[in-house]
Amino acid sequence: MSVFSGLKFRKVSSPIHNLDPRMKFVYVCAIFAAAILFSELLPLVILFLIQIPFVLLASVEREWLRSMRGAAFLATIIFLTNIGAAFFRDGYVFTAPSVEGAVAMTLRFMVLVESFSVFFLTTSPDHLGLALEQTRVPYEFVFAFTTAVRFVPVLAEEAQTIMDAQKARGLELERGNFLKRIRNYIPILIPLIIGAIRRSLELAEAMESRAWGATKKRTNLYVLKMHRGDVVLIAITFGILATAVYARLFVRIPPVNELLRNLP
Amino acid sequence: MGVIETRNVTYTYPGAPKPSIADVSINIEKGEFTLITGPSGCGKTTLCRCFNGLIPHFYQGEMKGETIAAGLNVSEHPICELAKHVGLVFQNPENQLFALSVEKDVAFGLENLGVPREEMRQRVDEVLNLTGIYDLRERGPSELSGGQQQRVAIASVLAMQPEVVVLDEPTSFLDPLSAKKIFEVIRNLNRKLGITVVLVEHRLDLTARYADHIIVMDEGKVVLDGNPHEILCSEEARLIGIGIPKATRLYQMLKKDGLKLGNTIPLSSEEMASLLTEALKDG
Repeated sequence: MSVFSGLKFRKVSSPIHNLDPRMKFVYVCAIFAAAILFSELLPLVILFLIQIPFVLLASVEREWLRSMRGAAFLATIIFLTNIGAAFFRDGYVFTAPSVEGAVAMTLRFMVLVESFSVFFLTTSPDHLGLALEQTRVPYEFVFAFTTAVRFVPVLAEEAQTIMDAQKARGLELERGNFLKRIRNYIPILIPLIIGAIRRSLELAEAMESRAWGATKKRTNLYVLKMHRGDVVLIAITFGILATAVYARLFVRIPPVNELLRNLP
Repeated sequence: MGVIETRNVTYTYPGAPKPSIADVSINIEKGEFTLITGPSGCGKTTLCRCFNGLIPHFYQGEMKGETIAAGLNVSEHPICELAKHVGLVFQNPENQLFALSVEKDVAFGLENLGVPREEMRQRVDEVLNLTGIYDLRERGPSELSGGQQQRVAIASVLAMQPEVVVLDEPTSFLDPLSAKKIFEVIRNLNRKLGITVVLVEHRLDLTARYADHIIVMDEGKVVLDGNPHEILCSEEARLIGIGIPKATRLYQMLKKDGLKLGNTIPLSSEEMASLLTEALKDG
């Protein structure tokens, strides 16, 4: 069951978790834009480091590390592709700038992954749904989203039960070649799908019984309000964006290998 | 006229060869605690679905006769309007909770009705306290036990302030202790708030004592309808195979053996105990 434990959402409270998801999304977009602006290593290192305080404030270090490790595979591919291309372009030699360029491209990817993971690790699905609703996404879509999140752990548990039941009846999942193994999962999938359809009918019945669709002007128990933290975040976001644009336009960004060479 | 009344209701599910309920005429008075019981597949759930318009609106199929709930003919009013008057609690608590926190779930019906936020907050807190789950209000549904989930489901129906709460075997997924607690919550709704309660249940041992009115169904028909004391002691009830409370069975057996007992038929072990003490004192 450890595979599924990560799917359960928990209500966590931290300065970052309590921020308005819309502001956090604006922040993610700003980091995104800044990362695209630069192909030099130095500013990308700064962008990467800037986000670490957020991770620490939200105390999601472990989850964050896991998502970084998850991105490692793609990052390696990006690095190899870049360095390979530079290797052929420069006439079959590795030069300091070409290595730096490849590292920078990889880091740019990591910055993108990092900002997204900070967003998703610190935003509860409930909050996200609320943000969607308040940005006038039709409620049906928001409801579908939150209900899907709600039922992921339930279905995961059901899948586990079905697997155990079928194994007890002699089903061997890890047997045979690749195609055979895929086919082994059919006796798990069919009951799972039928169960899900039945469940959806019961859900519909319960929704109807609670006046679903009674009025077009639906109200909401919660409302997202801007707090001091959100204002601070917006200030930080604009600070980052403004500095990035200024640096891009008016500052010569020194390559890191040059800085290293000039060290005493 | 009662708060729920059915007149010769016969209903067939789409594609079903024969009707699930046939010629059902019952009358449930305001403020009553009604118990509906009968063997599995006898049409109890189908009958409950008629009370808030799920039949005929949601299930379609063929319906004859009419159901009047809170003065509204269910065929002529949409479910969302009937839901304000008749609250339905289902068997499986898991499939009645949609939101990611308890209080959001309790508010779901009110949100749908467009109740203003301040009033909603107040009503949600009120029913959370009433059902004893105020401390759980921020939990997610997967962090709750079955009994707690069912209480959330009851609270979310109560928040809509219906006149009638219909509970369709609300404890069949629960252990006996949680079931007992749920029944106590339900009893309090009836006694303290005067809400009409319709409870579909097999466990008569735990529930018969609360009932003012009992309806026994078998094969889609109402076979017995009336006072719980008389009905549970009758020979017909035993033959249908409903779970007659042990205290009542004991009373019948002792009576048959010629023991002199009082004439009030007991429905719970407490009532039986007091009858026996009396009998011992006299004897």
